[in-house]
Amino acid sequence: MFVEYTWLVPLLPMICFVAVGLIGKRTPEGGAYLAIAGAAASCVISVLVAYEFFTSAAYHDPGYVTAEIEWFKIPGGFTLHFGYYIDSLACLMMLFASFISTLIFVYSKGYMHEQGAKKRRYYAEVSLFLTGMLGLAVSSNFLEMFVFWEIMGLCSYLLIGFWSFSHPEGDDAADNAASAAKKAFLVTRLGDVCLMAGLFVVLYSFGSLDYVRVFDAAAIHAVDQDMLVLGSLLIFGGVIGKSAQFPLLDWLPDAMAGPTTVSALIHAATMVKAGVYLVARCYPLFAQASEVMLFVGIIGGVTAFFAATMALNNMNIKRVLAYSTLSQLGYMFLALGAGGYLIALGIETGDHHLIAAGAAGYVAGCLHMANHAFFKALLFLCSGSVIHAVGTEDMRKMGGLHRKMKITSVTMLIGSLSIAGFPFFSGFWSKELVLETVMHASDYGAEGYLFTILWLLAVVTAFMTAFYMFRMWFMTFSGKPGHASEHCHGESPASMTAPLAILSAFAIGFGFTILFGFDALLSIGVEGPHHQFTVGAGEAKGFEYLSDIFGSAYTYLTIALVLGAIGIAHLMYNKRSVDAGRFNGGGESFVYKALTKRWWFPQLYDQISWKLGYGVARGVDFIDRQVVDGTVNGLSNAVAGGGELIGKAQTGDVRSYTWAVVAGVVLLFALMLALFYFIGGGI
Amino acid sequence: MIPIEAYLAFAAILFAIGAYGVLAKNNTIVVLMCIELMLNAANINFIAFAAYSADAIGQVFVIMTITVAAAEVAVGIAILLNAYRAKGTIEASGLKSMRW
Repeated sequence: MFVEYTWLVPLLPMICFVAVGLIGKRTPEGGAYLAIAGAAASCVISVLVAYEFFTSAAYHDPGYVTAEIEWFKIPGGFTLHFGYYIDSLACLMMLFASFISTLIFVYSKGYMHEQGAKKRRYYAEVSLFLTGMLGLAVSSNFLEMFVFWEIMGLCSYLLIGFWSFSHPEGDDAADNAASAAKKAFLVTRLGDVCLMAGLFVVLYSFGSLDYVRVFDAAAIHAVDQDMLVLGSLLIFGGVIGKSAQFPLLDWLPDAMAGPTTVSALIHAATMVKAGVYLVARCYPLFAQASEVMLFVGIIGGVTAFFAATMALNNMNIKRVLAYSTLSQLGYMFLALGAGGYLIALGIETGDHHLIAAGAAGYVAGCLHMANHAFFKALLFLCSGSVIHAVGTEDMRKMGGLHRKMKITSVTMLIGSLSIAGFPFFSGFWSKELVLETVMHASDYGAEGYLFTILWLLAVVTAFMTAFYMFRMWFMTFSGKPGHASEHCHGESPASMTAPLAILSAFAIGFGFTILFGFDALLSIGVEGPHHQFTVGAGEAKGFEYLSDIFGSAYTYLTIALVLGAIGIAHLMYNKRSVDAGRFNGGGESFVYKALTKRWWFPQLYDQISWKLGYGVARGVDFIDRQVVDGTVNGLSNAVAGGGELIGKAQTGDVRSYTWAVVAGVVLLFALMLALFYFIGGGI
Repeated sequence: MIPIEAYLAFAAILFAIGAYGVLAKNNTIVVLMCIELMLNAANINFIAFAAYSADAIGQVFVIMTITVAAAEVAVGIAILLNAYRAKGTIEASGLKSMRW
């Protein structure tokens, strides 16, 4: 009874987008209340839909419910639809996206209060963004998903460049925002081209883009496996762009030029999760080949590690969080990759234990996705609260804020503990499950040893995560008040602290859902014949996870590493008994330079786009000048030259004209005579 | 009765002389006179065929041609007079300004 109204979930924010755009100026706070109402209504409907979906037995058998209308037809037997497709994954995505959006919109009311007339633009764009996010979650086919995917890309571009016209910190910052927006748009575009190509491959192979028809075991079995691998890899290319994975990761740190609420909403909690969602959604395709899943895992593990290293010595509070977002997204892909790798091997060998272990990886990835959405949104909103109070993003100018901003300080500590994987916080459960799955994957298959390396990277990443998060917290909240801290005018307004409190409750508690049936709802089940995939077909392991996690020595290893990292951060940045400067060789050491220069990724981008772009541009320029212009100029020259030449015949001498006339008449006459002579008088 | 071929031959010779004059002479007055010769060659043909086929329409046509020719010469002389005033010459080789 509620599921039929799923289409309202993305539609309500869309209506708010139009309403804020048209009449936002006349409502208080530039349309903030409209946007909040839209998001809250979507959230309520999402909850109702999810409640009905999870409780009604009618939906459990196929594991999904879908409805669609015909959108358009392509000659050749392709029909494209528009509709919704609800399963556990869509429910999870829809729930946390709409819930966090509502909180962030409420927070925005306080954070964007001083932006004046530009607030209307802000609330219109975030509403449109929410349409994209929720639409993506409930789409019933790849094309519809792609449309919403692109709407999000557009909103991301618009909101990163929110201050590109006039920045509170001056013109340089405004230019910076503009170029960051362009960079984000162009880099993700590279991925989107891959994704589109992937969709063409899927359409060509399956003859349809509808999830129900593509994720059908018989259909997958009938398709050429090489095309399937190609399509999966191309789709994953789009994921790499959207979720900022290696090597397209460099746009996300720059995207922090947007307002902090945008960073929290789009570049931490929701849009960048779209890639994770897509991989989880396309599991039936990806898990057909272990190579594809191995690739996913490697990309994830490498990103997790590299992004974490770059966060170690950054001084910008938002940049640190951006790198940690990248790193945590890497964890999700690592989990999904390792799980899918096990499932692919299990399908090959027919081993049900492997499939069950792989399903645990899927659960770990999804749980980490939801956990991360909560604690990273919390951390970003806390950093926004700090920036709002002190007016700078440079952590060296902060410090000692704990006394002035108690709520922000405590909630941020909770977020930091959660992301660091401190025992019994949300992040702890999902991180341990991820590491466990990767460890498990390393025991199987010919390429299993690669997962051993990835596991090591992930453990080191966990250590670094704890270190840089607490480095950030100590630099911001403890120690002597910095230059900017003195201007701090106390705690942020209640519209900002209330969302922090709610989110920190989730950052502590959401991880416990794994003990109370999260895995049953989100696990992917694999059944014959030809291996049908069903989301939400698993059995709840419940408290068995406790013995799983705490029965393993590796868990204690990571806990020890996390505590050690927190301790080191305490010594270096709180007690200051260890000089942090000793490790960077006065800013001269190779590693320090590598990290501040982001492992030379920006230079690499510049070089590639410069060399490649310049080469291509020169080729195009040559074709334009020589071929296109050549044709046009040649034609005009031929006409002009020919005219010149024929013009010479016009002497102006009347007698020569007469000669021409007479000669013509004589010629015609001779012709007539000849005709008469040869053909006779029969004409 | 003089045969019609004689008229036609005479008219052809007259036309050829006129054409020669138009093509060869530099003095535009002479050119105008030669055009008259060519016209009259055509008139002779009209008359000859009219008499030959006992049809008066040819003679009517000739009278009209003579009228038109008179008007045409008047216009032609007027143009030449103006050309002479403008350019100081009536030589065909000197009147070449109407070209590209």
